[in-house]
Amino acid sequence: MTAVAVYVHIPFCPSKCGYCDFNSYAMTGEIVERTARAIAQEIRQSPWRGRPAKTIFFGGGTPTYLSESQLIPIIEAVLETHPPTADCEFTSEANPGTVDMPKFAAMRRAGVNRISLGAQSFARQDLIRLGRVHQAPEIVRAVGVAREAGFDEINLDLMFGLPGQSMAGWERNLEIALSLGPTHLSLYGLTIEPNTRYYKLHLRGMLDLPTEDVHVAMYDRAMDAAEAAGLQQYEISNFARPGSQCQHNLAYWRGEEYLGYGPGAVGCFQEDGRRHRYTVLKHPERYCQAIEQGTGLWFDEEWLDEDDLRLEELMLGLRLNEGLSPTIALAERGLKKVLDRGWVEQMDNRLRLTRSGRHFCSEVAAELA
Amino acid sequence: MDQSHIRNFCIIAHIDHGKSTLADRLIERCGAIRGTAQEQMLDSMDIERERGITIKMAAVRLIYKAQNGETYQLNLIDTPGHVDFTYEVSRALAACEGALLVVDASQGVEAQTIANAGMAMNQNLEIIPVINKIDLPHADIDRAREEIEAAVAIDATDAIPCSAKSGIGIDEILEAVVHRVPPPAGDPEAPLRALIYDSHFDSYQGAIAYVRVKDGSVKKGDKIVMMSTEAKFDVDTTGHFGPGMTVNEGLGCGEVGFITAAMKSIGDAQVGDTVTKMPDLATEALPGYRKALSMVFCGLYPSDGDQYEDLRDAIDKLRLNDAALQFEPETSAALGFGFRCGFLGLLHMEIAKERLEREFGLDLILTAPSVDYQITWKGGKVEHISNPTDFPQPHELDLIEEPIVEASIMVPNEYVGAVMTLCQERRGVYTRTEYPTPQRVILHYTLPLGEILLDFFDKLKSNTRGYASFDYELAGYQPSDLVKVDILLNGDAVDALSFIVHRDFAYNRGRAMVEQLRKVVPRQQYEVRVQAALGAKIIAADSIKPFRKNVIAKCYGGDVSRKRKLLEKQKEGKKRMKQIGSVELPQEAFLSVLRVAE
Repeated sequence: MTAVAVYVHIPFCPSKCGYCDFNSYAMTGEIVERTARAIAQEIRQSPWRGRPAKTIFFGGGTPTYLSESQLIPIIEAVLETHPPTADCEFTSEANPGTVDMPKFAAMRRAGVNRISLGAQSFARQDLIRLGRVHQAPEIVRAVGVAREAGFDEINLDLMFGLPGQSMAGWERNLEIALSLGPTHLSLYGLTIEPNTRYYKLHLRGMLDLPTEDVHVAMYDRAMDAAEAAGLQQYEISNFARPGSQCQHNLAYWRGEEYLGYGPGAVGCFQEDGRRHRYTVLKHPERYCQAIEQGTGLWFDEEWLDEDDLRLEELMLGLRLNEGLSPTIALAERGLKKVLDRGWVEQMDNRLRLTRSGRHFCSEVAAELA
Repeated sequence: MDQSHIRNFCIIAHIDHGKSTLADRLIERCGAIRGTAQEQMLDSMDIERERGITIKMAAVRLIYKAQNGETYQLNLIDTPGHVDFTYEVSRALAACEGALLVVDASQGVEAQTIANAGMAMNQNLEIIPVINKIDLPHADIDRAREEIEAAVAIDATDAIPCSAKSGIGIDEILEAVVHRVPPPAGDPEAPLRALIYDSHFDSYQGAIAYVRVKDGSVKKGDKIVMMSTEAKFDVDTTGHFGPGMTVNEGLGCGEVGFITAAMKSIGDAQVGDTVTKMPDLATEALPGYRKALSMVFCGLYPSDGDQYEDLRDAIDKLRLNDAALQFEPETSAALGFGFRCGFLGLLHMEIAKERLEREFGLDLILTAPSVDYQITWKGGKVEHISNPTDFPQPHELDLIEEPIVEASIMVPNEYVGAVMTLCQERRGVYTRTEYPTPQRVILHYTLPLGEILLDFFDKLKSNTRGYASFDYELAGYQPSDLVKVDILLNGDAVDALSFIVHRDFAYNRGRAMVEQLRKVVPRQQYEVRVQAALGAKIIAADSIKPFRKNVIAKCYGGDVSRKRKLLEKQKEGKKRMKQIGSVELPQEAFLSVLRVAE
């Protein structure tokens, strides 16, 4: 059996941030305990039991919102159900403010070997506006504790284009983040998603967002700063030291299979010559009921046809610096247009975005589709 | 069946007053249909049912056993309810001896009720007033009765109260049809004269003529002659609608039914024409025939230039079925090859576009609708122009005339001011007021057709809280100070966006058009300047700022399907864009003119 990427979703956070449209809930008490037990049970009952894991990723939500005694059994369930390959990358997301030495140490002992910290910003105002529960000193402390606990691979998430954020503020964030010496950086431009509090505020003109020009300049600055610090860009929003790219996320972007467990997790697998994608029940309550009563867990399942797969390959492949596979079919007229505009280039027989093209990734995908 | 037991009648009503539902009940009561759950049986095209309007007429033969013990053949002829199809209504009426005039018990008489009733009276039909929807809370039967008497000037003492929805009064209506509508006159021994009151195209049988036999009779094998074209055909079948097409032995004097005769196109069976047969040809055609007249013109282009031939085939086929549709090839600098099409009205235009897209899988761009202008060139040559592109330079012409209509607007007293204001804004000239009822008046205006085409009716409705009703007829041409406004994108005029407007409105419409384009044209990689020009003079300008980014920051396993669907949509959107010079325009841009008439 070929090794596969495994994702586990922990759907809880201490509070729900204004920009967040992920499947996360600010819940406490018994439901958290029940859900943690249900996730472990779901994994142990997996139809793919025995299939080795080449990467494991705990995301959320906030995996570290769970207590040690809730989290460790889930880790054990994964490792027993999907024996890790020798070089298996095992990431857990963590939020500064929900971690301490004992928890990090226990996670490391259990097998986690990479930590992704949702820092987002080091500026007090940014963090308050975003609705984060932590402040800058806690980020710095979390990085230190993670190192001490034995994590060599550390990622920091940062966001730009935030309400009230200036270019100078963004530069300062980059500087502090790089000074902490992470092996990996995820730098995201803020996107206003529907069904978020930010969306409502934005519609009423109450978000003081930087102009499009400033947003674009912030992204340019991010690419420059990361590169200068030895973190190479390998995807639209991701930068890493050589050898430290996130193998799990690369599996998504390269269109490989991945299995998903936990409320709202998405999986994608090959069966009977077809590609399937499923979504697990999203709400913790309904998820727990389904596990406890042994009823259907997937609320959505689709079969991907040739066209779907081609569009996904195009859309995801363009995100990567390695570019598109040479075999993919492209719209001729669109290709000419994006080449003329200098948004794409040929590199080792693969088509990829140029630096200026990275600002127009979606536009390029639509032209080539 | 002998003539004394035949009754031919139709239902006339204002839109939404319940005509189709009443027809359904009559059909059900006579058992013409058993076990069909499909409501509104006369409307057989999908679009008709969706829009709740009758476009093509049908006729149903009902066999009714009356209370006097006799059995009658009742032919119910449906009529279109929309003002675009007035001519077809008049032909349907000509096929009848009686009409049910349906009035909504809570709405009362409306402009269309009066117009259609007037038409029915001109054809000497026996009119039976029916007051519908009497079970609704706001029903006021007495008031409806008074209004009918005052506005339509017919005796409404015997008006039949009914509720088509709940089946109240249906028997009374059928008895009234038997006893009040006269049997058809006409001479069974005379040479055949049959009026074509409608037709439709069938891919296997060719054009099918819906006829009312006025004199003589017709059966399979007869050699028929169309009196307007003198074209000859051999009758394959005759039949009636029950309501499906049912072949029969022949159509006798006074009967209503259909004829098939391997007629290759709908043009062979033109509405209003008279059918006669060899060897005893009728000498005089039935009155009232005229060719369908186009009132609205627009350009139809495929969004994908490669589909030009497909569009031609599709229009050809649609025309087999829709004699009122006129078209000729034209080219546009912006849109390439397409067709200039003439329609009865805006509704007809929209329906034709929808049918072309739906039934033939095409993706179309419509240019701004225009009316037909009469131009007198210097030197005296007179020409008709319906395409703004062909509009002459001021120094080349002597006179421009535009089509005008006589409009009647029925409205409650309190909205008279609002209606007059609207009519004045649309260059209307007041002619007179009628006072058919104490609560409502009829305002008569002469209005330019071009001013009522676009959103006049919507505005009228919204300015009167929906109480106004409206009817009009064409009333020739009048001289007018009209100018062409050009729209420029990055300095280049886009012919498909030009429009013709009265000089006094040029600035406002130009500005509104620029504003509208700024809204519907998506941002491009370069700045796009949008300008409106009157001759060489720029009268309005704005610009669309370029977009600087279009990128999704995050995309992980859980987002892929959703983001892919977004990409599919963008891809579709791109396909529907038309490249004009360096600018990409969405389809909506070409209809912007429709949205700016204020």
